[in-house]
Amino acid sequence: MGKPCYFALFDLQPSFELDRDQLATKYRELARETHPDRFAAESDQRQREAVERSADLNEAYQTLRNPTSRARYLLSLDGTELPLEATVQDTEFLFQQLQWREELEALQDGADMDGIASFKARLTQAQNELHDAFSSAWADTTRRPDTERLVRRMQFLDKLAAQVRQLEERLDD
Amino acid sequence: MAYSDKVIDHYENPRNVGKFDAQAPDIGTGMVGAPACGDVMRLQIKVNEQGIIEDAKFKTYGCGSAIASSSLATEWMKGKTLEEAETIKNTQLAEELALPPVKIHCSVLAEDAIKAAVRDYRAKKGLL
Repeated sequence: MGKPCYFALFDLQPSFELDRDQLATKYRELARETHPDRFAAESDQRQREAVERSADLNEAYQTLRNPTSRARYLLSLDGTELPLEATVQDTEFLFQQLQWREELEALQDGADMDGIASFKARLTQAQNELHDAFSSAWADTTRRPDTERLVRRMQFLDKLAAQVRQLEERLDD
Repeated sequence: MAYSDKVIDHYENPRNVGKFDAQAPDIGTGMVGAPACGDVMRLQIKVNEQGIIEDAKFKTYGCGSAIASSSLATEWMKGKTLEEAETIKNTQLAEELALPPVKIHCSVLAEDAIKAAVRDYRAKKGLL
């Protein structure tokens, strides 16, 4: 038997826009119900099942909580597994990405905290714009190729955001 | 992960880092990216009137293997014709650098960058 749909697990409709509070509330509720400690007195078989259910629940929650993995999951429900290893030649976007990485490198060399803060704000805005773009492309079934390109772009921005976080942590020390 | 000495050498002393004017008529630019790891690579070639790659430059934001693969690719491309450069395979780059299997895809990025740069140059010259 296949795994249940992650959205259904949390009583949500499969959609990119989602009620994060409902997701978190439902997650905590289910996490309590499926916590392996509750099955400590049961048979080995039941305990194993509880551990598995708990792991599935966590995976489902993490997948839906993060916008990029949520978008990828939506595509996979629709039958598209994005081959992320494949090279992309999204030229204009990549030129901009290279520029941003150069900018971040300069901010890092100068330990420019204000510059990093404003860089981060711009990055967050770009991520939000991508999310909005994905949401409207997803609503239109004729625009599947667009949604795939947008998810790939999200991956690059996620990487950049992770680098900004690392840089902030390093400069904090 | 243990990197080979060659990877570390190319990573610490990358050859041909830099850029050419992407608008210049004798320059071909390849821009490629790998969404899985967020790597971004720009590889450029400067081609003379005989169709020989006189110089090559790159800039890669990515892991050590991606940087080493593109550094080695620029070294190999110099002095080659466009046709010869196009035959450079990622497996050759990976073998020379002794990349571990999980890092092979980083060399694929370099091969694709070579092809993209050659294609960009040909498109500029109306050779496609």
